[in-house]
Amino acid sequence: MLSMFILWIAVFLGIFFRKKWVPVLAIVSMIWTLVLLRLHMTDPIPLNF
Amino acid sequence: MSIVDRAETAFESRELVIARWINVLALFGLIGVLAGSLFLQFGVGEQPCPLCLVQRSGMMAIAVGPIMNLLWGMRPLHYALSILGAMVGGAGSVRQVLLHIEPGDSGYGPAVLGLHLYTWALITFAIAIAGCAFMLLWSKPFQVGDTGVAGERGFLRFIALVAIAWVTIDLLIVGISVVPECGLGMCPDNPDDISGLGGIGGVLMTLAVGAAAVVIAAIADRRMSTSEAAGS
Repeated sequence: MLSMFILWIAVFLGIFFRKKWVPVLAIVSMIWTLVLLRLHMTDPIPLNF
Repeated sequence: MSIVDRAETAFESRELVIARWINVLALFGLIGVLAGSLFLQFGVGEQPCPLCLVQRSGMMAIAVGPIMNLLWGMRPLHYALSILGAMVGGAGSVRQVLLHIEPGDSGYGPAVLGLHLYTWALITFAIAIAGCAFMLLWSKPFQVGDTGVAGERGFLRFIALVAIAWVTIDLLIVGISVVPECGLGMCPDNPDDISGLGGIGGVLMTLAVGAAAVVIAAIADRRMSTSEAAGS
């Protein structure tokens, strides 16, 4: 799960150095967060989206 | 430029200042939520669960919009990123609320003001989405060709830099603290509690982070002023 925060640190550095790829990397970081969320959906509860 | 044009420009720039202050306050609101979760982690010794880390990731995603607005200038794209980030974090919060929704379930972790942290996080994400939507209804701040606070000396720039530095330090703390808890892989579902710094230790840690943010902001503010003076 460290990877999630490494991505956000990269996004923040990109903002400070005014890099054009920041929005793209931010969206990649969000998608990666959703992937990790899905991997942790192991409990058999109803509405297991 | 006519008097009418000048009056309109002054009015637009005043609206831009208001929009900047709202972005700064949004960052401080986020800092409050993050400070609460870090206090529970390091003060009380409550290690964050994997879903808690997903929600912290969502908090960082929300922060991207206001930081870009303040450093790059007001753009609808920046609010859009915060809305998407709040939806991602909100997915984690909803998941955790559903896990503990059955009657008799005492929930995960301690409650703060009667609500668990994941419920507070869900409220934060909902407010962020609504707040960004309201800011997008207001088109004037996008029309003045804003390029951010860096070139404008003053208290607003300093306080904006404090907020940005504070969120960045929180991000570093959250990221680094994942390593001893989870290593480089996935985190355990129910991590063991650690011996925390205690209530006073947790408060002192929060104050130290704030003080570090003020120092970093003061250095950055001074550098910006120096480069402005060299440029003029």
